[in-house]
Amino acid sequence: MTWTCDQIEARLSEYVEGQLTAPEASEFELHVKGCPECAPLVASVKSLVREMRSMEQVEAPPRLVYAILDQTLGPRERVTFWQAVGNFLRGLATPKFAYGAASVMATCFIVLSASGISFRKPKLADLHPATLYRNVDRQAHIAIAKSVKYVSDLRVVYEIQSRLRQEENQLQVTPEDHAPNAPTEKKPGQTDDQSHTQPKQQNRANELARQVEMLAAECPLMFERSFR
Amino acid sequence: MRRHTRRVYNVCYRFVGNRTEAEDISQEVFLRVYRTLASYRSAHGGFATWMTSVTRNLLIDHYRRTKRDRLTDSLDDAMPVVESKESSARRPDEQALLGELSGQVQSALTRLSPELREAVILRDLQQLEYAEIQQVLGVPEGTVKSRINRGRIELARILQHMGVRPS
Repeated sequence: MTWTCDQIEARLSEYVEGQLTAPEASEFELHVKGCPECAPLVASVKSLVREMRSMEQVEAPPRLVYAILDQTLGPRERVTFWQAVGNFLRGLATPKFAYGAASVMATCFIVLSASGISFRKPKLADLHPATLYRNVDRQAHIAIAKSVKYVSDLRVVYEIQSRLRQEENQLQVTPEDHAPNAPTEKKPGQTDDQSHTQPKQQNRANELARQVEMLAAECPLMFERSFR
Repeated sequence: MRRHTRRVYNVCYRFVGNRTEAEDISQEVFLRVYRTLASYRSAHGGFATWMTSVTRNLLIDHYRRTKRDRLTDSLDDAMPVVESKESSARRPDEQALLGELSGQVQSALTRLSPELREAVILRDLQQLEYAEIQQVLGVPEGTVKSRINRGRIELARILQHMGVRPS
């Protein structure tokens, strides 16, 4: 089947948009190749469609949005300078702003305290950068030393407590171990545990006593405090 | 809001080819949408399609109104005056655009008949689907395709007459 120029024109957009079947497209191209009227038209339309699809959207002027809002929701209120100031001050008297201000003040207080500024006797020299740096450095070192000492003290206390608890448990368990059991038949080669228990406990107690003495010698203050 | 404004403004600008008129019509569109919002049903398609449909109706109204004005002007033998008015109403950036291909395409678009113009704008510039264009124009899909095809061919011929060679 050979296509006519009218058919080419009628189905030009389908060809441009790739909606023709493969045989239809080849028939279309066959005609266009040999037709001096259709060839430039097809080329023009193809180029035109490509150009139109790549054309950028025009930006709407910003005033258009305001004009539309004015027309639909009514004109905006004109606010004088003093009204604007009043609105601003009214905005400050809200709980949200009060919370914000309180948290800012608390933060400032913490920061100034950390930088070693005395609120009882405030001095202008305290605000000098060198003094601020020295104070902050000193506070930081003191804080680190205190926390290190606190952690090591805690460790010692927990160590002693756990040792003592362990010993108490041992002492509670021991009588039960010695409770008369039902007579059991002794099998050949079986050893009697009771004869070995006594020396083991004695050894453990001696070892614990040694450790407590050692700890007491290492940190006498802590030891004294924890038993006070 | 800005997205819708941009789309409506673009459709209007491409149709009338003049920024001031496009702004006025865009405002009318939003006013009409605001007033008739209760009549919008999602069954009629998406909100954007419905809005485009309102835009199209107002553009056609505008075309008919200005056509009457143009006829009156021509009766008064004032055609040259109209032309000079049109050229003076164009902003410098619009004048500069005319030198470019996109400007020439825009100029050629305004010479198309409104039925073909709206179909081409919706398909090639707004890149809507055939089903959406069918809803906006309220005509069968076959008619939509036929209008787009004729519109493209007509536009290509207008550009040829204007001396614009395809790249």
